[in-house]
Amino acid sequence: MSPALTPPTPLQTLAAVVKGYLPRTLQPRGWILAALAVVPVLLALGLQAVVMHFEGTSASFGLQLFHQVTVRLVLPILALVAAPGGIREDLEQRTLPLLLVRPAAVWAYPMAKGLPWYAWGAFWLVLSTLGLPALGADAAGLGRLALALALAFWAQLAVATALGLFFKRGILWGALWFFAWDPLVRIFPGNLQRFTFLHYIESLAGSRGGSVTPSQILAQEQITTPFLLAALALIAIGLAAWALSGWRLHRTPIGLAGAEAEG
Amino acid sequence: MSALLRLERASLRYGQILGLSPTSFELPEGGGITGLLGPNGSGKSTLIQMVSGLLPPSSGTVEVFGQAPFRNPAVLSRIGLVPEGDRFPTGLKARRWLRMMGELSGLQGPALEAALEETLALVGMEHRADLPFAAMSKGMRQRIRLAQALMHRPELLILDEPFNGLDPEARLTLMDLLRRLAAGSTRVLVSSHILSEVAQLTDRILLLFRGRLLAEGSVPEIRELLDRHPVELRLVAESAQAVARWAVEHGELVALRLEESGAVLAVRNPRSFLPKLQDAAARGELPLRALDPIDLNLDAVFQYLTKDHA
Repeated sequence: MSPALTPPTPLQTLAAVVKGYLPRTLQPRGWILAALAVVPVLLALGLQAVVMHFEGTSASFGLQLFHQVTVRLVLPILALVAAPGGIREDLEQRTLPLLLVRPAAVWAYPMAKGLPWYAWGAFWLVLSTLGLPALGADAAGLGRLALALALAFWAQLAVATALGLFFKRGILWGALWFFAWDPLVRIFPGNLQRFTFLHYIESLAGSRGGSVTPSQILAQEQITTPFLLAALALIAIGLAAWALSGWRLHRTPIGLAGAEAEG
Repeated sequence: MSALLRLERASLRYGQILGLSPTSFELPEGGGITGLLGPNGSGKSTLIQMVSGLLPPSSGTVEVFGQAPFRNPAVLSRIGLVPEGDRFPTGLKARRWLRMMGELSGLQGPALEAALEETLALVGMEHRADLPFAAMSKGMRQRIRLAQALMHRPELLILDEPFNGLDPEARLTLMDLLRRLAAGSTRVLVSSHILSEVAQLTDRILLLFRGRLLAEGSVPEIRELLDRHPVELRLVAESAQAVARWAVEHGELVALRLEESGAVLAVRNPRSFLPKLQDAAARGELPLRALDPIDLNLDAVFQYLTKDHA
């Protein structure tokens, strides 16, 4: 029998779990994430090549692709696919008790299990923006687009993870938030926009990508948040959601049957 | 001697369902094996989950090393848990996963690597630890499950039904390992629903039934208690009457029922009765063709004990 060990610090807990679960990103769920992030841009590039071949002109729809497809569809789907691979996976596979009987900081587990997925997803999202200049997007603004995606994925993944710990059907609630609340809130008074991810993404990316047209009579005038504040807001939303997940996990008794923690 | 584990009217409810009635007992510090015996659904896993800090008691207190174990790093760093079931994270290899478990238990650097290799050797998995869990046999995964609980050299090792699904050789190997750990000052708490398994291992038994602690004592004490339980034996013989005539002469007989092919005897203290039966058959006093113990299983014993306590 050795003398009792000193429990790991939260940072050591984070590092250990990230290292331990990193290989999971190189498995099917990880490649689905990668494909989701880059395939729309690759398809658009292919379409562009076909148009150029037959008509000799190139269309300029890089920003529309970013705002209408990547931001509105790809990004939330990525978060909803990645989140169940985090702490929710251990809950469902009943492997969480093996982590919970360790003297580590339990509240750090959700973030620690989410970080490999965040790094992997953000890498492919940022990579996908490299194809946008070829589709007519301003190359000088590429950094803003990439940053907007990376920070939005951070926040959305954290929120989806938290919803997965608070509700049995967390993915459904996440989908409602990302696909119903976020787009619909534009018809409500302006300041409500600040409660959407789209608002901060557009504030960071620099425009709404021409998505508001005169025919959209219910659309409110776009309000903006300063660049730095928008970036800080997304970081803070992510941190708050990770903290909430950690608090939930720490205070919820989870036995070998697992069901105590769900919903 | 101070208590390593103390339960003071500790109970646990799952919503409306009572998983464990208020239970009190103590385990002293130091090595040794304690068996947690009871049929399925008796509250063994519930008790184990409270002791290992997974679930807090609904009422009463649970203290391990003098403190409540739920989310308590000071206690958890001294506990190792081998849960029941065959669950591992998908897509990971054992060595990497064990290294992570070691780090989460507070091991680092060379000490971590040394503990990892030492533990893998202890459970006989040093050459197969780089396999993914999906490619391992059930026995191999059981060894890894044991390794994750042993890496940080816990003072209290808790195993929930560790012999389930193991082949006889693996079972003996595990028993030998547990005995060695217990001899080296690790307190081992092992649950099982099979009396013979526990009896081979332990010097002390806690008997649980339907969420209640029925009895606590040494293996001989528990055996003595079980001996009071009438056991039914079906004797297949050429003449049922001959069996009946022989049986009524023995004080252990509680009830007798004649059947077409023999007789069903209810006897107390089967450990003294069975040798007499064997002798009589060997001497030709009994025209015995077969002996079939009807209810020597634990469920029957527990039902008897419950009635006895009521």
